[in-house]
Amino acid sequence: MDNGKSNLYDWMMNLDRRWVYLVIGVVVTLTAIAPFKVPVYVTPEVRNIYNFVESMEPGEVLMIGVDYAPEAMAELHPMNYAITRQCFAKGIKLLLCCLHQNGPGMVEQVIAQVSKEYDKVNGVDYVYLGYKPYPAITILAMGQNFRIPFPEDYYGTPLDSLPMMRNIVNFDNVKAIINISAGSATEYWINYANGRYNAKLAIGVTGVMTSDYYPFLQSGQIFGIIGGMKGAAEYEDLAEKGGYISSEKDQLTAFKSMPIQTTTHIVVILFIVLGNVGYFMSKKKK
Amino acid sequence: MGTHDIIFNGIAAFLTLSIYTFLYKDNPFYKFAEHLVVGVSAGYFAVILYYNGFVPKLIVPLWEQGKLYYIIPAVLGVMIWTRFSRKWSWISRFSLAFYIGSGAGIAIPLYLQNFVLRQLSASMLPVGISTWPMITNILIIIGVFCALTYFYFSKEHTGAFGASAKIGIWTLMVGFGAGFGLTVMGRVSLLAERVVFIRDYLNELFRYLS
Amino acid sequence: MPSFLFYSSSWFDFNRINVFIILGAFFIFVIYFIWQAKAGKSLFVRRIAGLDAIEEAVGRATEMGKPILYISGIEDMDNLQTVASMIILGNVAEMVARYEVPLLVPICVPFVVTVAEESVKQGYMKAGKPEAYNPNNVRYLTQEQFAYAAGVNGIMLREKPAANFMFGSFYAESLLMAETGLSTGAIQVAGTANIHQLPFFVVACDFTLIGEELFAASAYLSREPKLLGSLKASDLAKFLIMISLIVGALLETFGITRFTSWFFVR
Repeated sequence: MDNGKSNLYDWMMNLDRRWVYLVIGVVVTLTAIAPFKVPVYVTPEVRNIYNFVESMEPGEVLMIGVDYAPEAMAELHPMNYAITRQCFAKGIKLLLCCLHQNGPGMVEQVIAQVSKEYDKVNGVDYVYLGYKPYPAITILAMGQNFRIPFPEDYYGTPLDSLPMMRNIVNFDNVKAIINISAGSATEYWINYANGRYNAKLAIGVTGVMTSDYYPFLQSGQIFGIIGGMKGAAEYEDLAEKGGYISSEKDQLTAFKSMPIQTTTHIVVILFIVLGNVGYFMSKKKK
Repeated sequence: MGTHDIIFNGIAAFLTLSIYTFLYKDNPFYKFAEHLVVGVSAGYFAVILYYNGFVPKLIVPLWEQGKLYYIIPAVLGVMIWTRFSRKWSWISRFSLAFYIGSGAGIAIPLYLQNFVLRQLSASMLPVGISTWPMITNILIIIGVFCALTYFYFSKEHTGAFGASAKIGIWTLMVGFGAGFGLTVMGRVSLLAERVVFIRDYLNELFRYLS
Repeated sequence: MPSFLFYSSSWFDFNRINVFIILGAFFIFVIYFIWQAKAGKSLFVRRIAGLDAIEEAVGRATEMGKPILYISGIEDMDNLQTVASMIILGNVAEMVARYEVPLLVPICVPFVVTVAEESVKQGYMKAGKPEAYNPNNVRYLTQEQFAYAAGVNGIMLREKPAANFMFGSFYAESLLMAETGLSTGAIQVAGTANIHQLPFFVVACDFTLIGEELFAASAYLSREPKLLGSLKASDLAKFLIMISLIVGALLETFGITRFTSWFFVR
């Protein structure tokens, strides 16, 4: 009997990881085939960003720094879409830039689609500055004048010839910056844009990075965090209630992934409990 | 979805599943997808860097705008390439010194200001037991203090100091646990999006074929 | 004319005088302790668990006749973790040269390749084996994060190194590489200051250097006066921060905010 129990605990401890992958794969597939609705609780740090954008007046400028590549699209694209749709619906002008080498396509994808939905004109309602390497130097230069690192926009048009850029020189002329990032660019935005130029900053980051930036929220260096796909789902929930996005138009991409998130998390918790029970019981046996 | 989308999304779905085959074991499909992503990303980055970095930051100012002082950074950049020569590699040290020196000079004061002083002033919180925020402030201060003692290298972790370091490492582990949970959430999000993509693609494929 | 000549910002920003004072004080600490170290005074640094494992791992690789894989993170030389990683790489290279084990160093950032080559070459020269240095073992893969992880995983599966050392700045690719290394049975020692990657290194690696231990490791291994002096100076700074924290919290409790606000840059 004891041998049977110790074999069970050893099995729990040494479970081949491919069984874990298989179970998760099955759970994810079943949930994808038969999804259900999951209520989303909105956290204060996401609500702060939504409320700030809500408080902006038509014609004011919001800067969005898009610093992610396709591998982070799943978590960050939904929040990018939701914020862009909210801004365009409210008549807020957008100034976009990209500091990640694979990010230009991400910005283009969002802005091309959403500007068409709201009949927004490049150069009048939004300006896409493009990509420049070395985020630290680029942000420092933008704090002086956007024209230093970006004399032209992404499409090769000189900034001075764009109507929207007439009164926009540097960070002082934008209401706030929302940095949507999957890498170290967020650190540079906090250090240089907020630290050096005192620009009002909020961030949207992947789930992995979220816990890293809560100290900056507590110290007041940033005024909000959208963390991962859950954060994006919260923002989409707020934007849907505000009438900016609609589930009928299939615009709640993060929200509809929440059932898969929920079931997978339950499976992961069960495996963690299994492994820990096996660990402590094996240790007790010895 | 048109034929064009069916084909290209099909390639994306195939490559996604090829990478996932690695979960079982290494195989030619994974190797193919891995080499493809390494090659494509290197090529894509080279082109992006050329058109967004090299051309607007060197070629245009130097050749079209006549800003001759851009020769100085251009020369510094070329000096780095002397690394490839055994005889002349010492020249690259000047560029390295300038790059590291200027980078450190720009970064250090701002990092001290934003990552140390701001965080320190935000951690100096009023303590007490009259309100719940004051109680949590005690936890924050104890956590910060004890975590700092863990990273104090000039004294062995013995006695009261060792106990403080132990509380510090436990505080760190609680933080790591929270970080781990958020990371699992992030990874599952990526998986969820891929599964939804493959599901939607298969729906579109069946619709197209029928 | 260059545009920067027309900006009228002042030469000295008095709003940041606190940063200037604290930085100046820290520089004095660093210079003092480096001077002490150069003068031969014994500066105590506690033993860092995990560093002894490096030599053990190198010995194991020699017995098995397998190479050692060293990964220095995915950031550029402007990241301090990469700088610390290069110092540790130099020490590892010296150890590896003595044991005559191949050292594979795949690099993510082009600029770091030049520094890594220099570190490894110096390590081999210090060990008295400059002819054993193979520049092809220090190679650039790709700057793309997950493509780099895919490349490193490929190296781990094909070359099957006996030991993997991962020191530097890592992001999402950390678990991909650590998990693959674990599956090949290699002994793994990792160190990073990116706290969100530490949980994965802690579970997947045999030893993990947490945060500042990565920077202390470079001083502990090399015993170089400059590194030791810097470590002691940072310890003194930490001590003062701990005292300030307690004093500031007590003053805030009694409603005195002047002390706290001095640290705040307006």
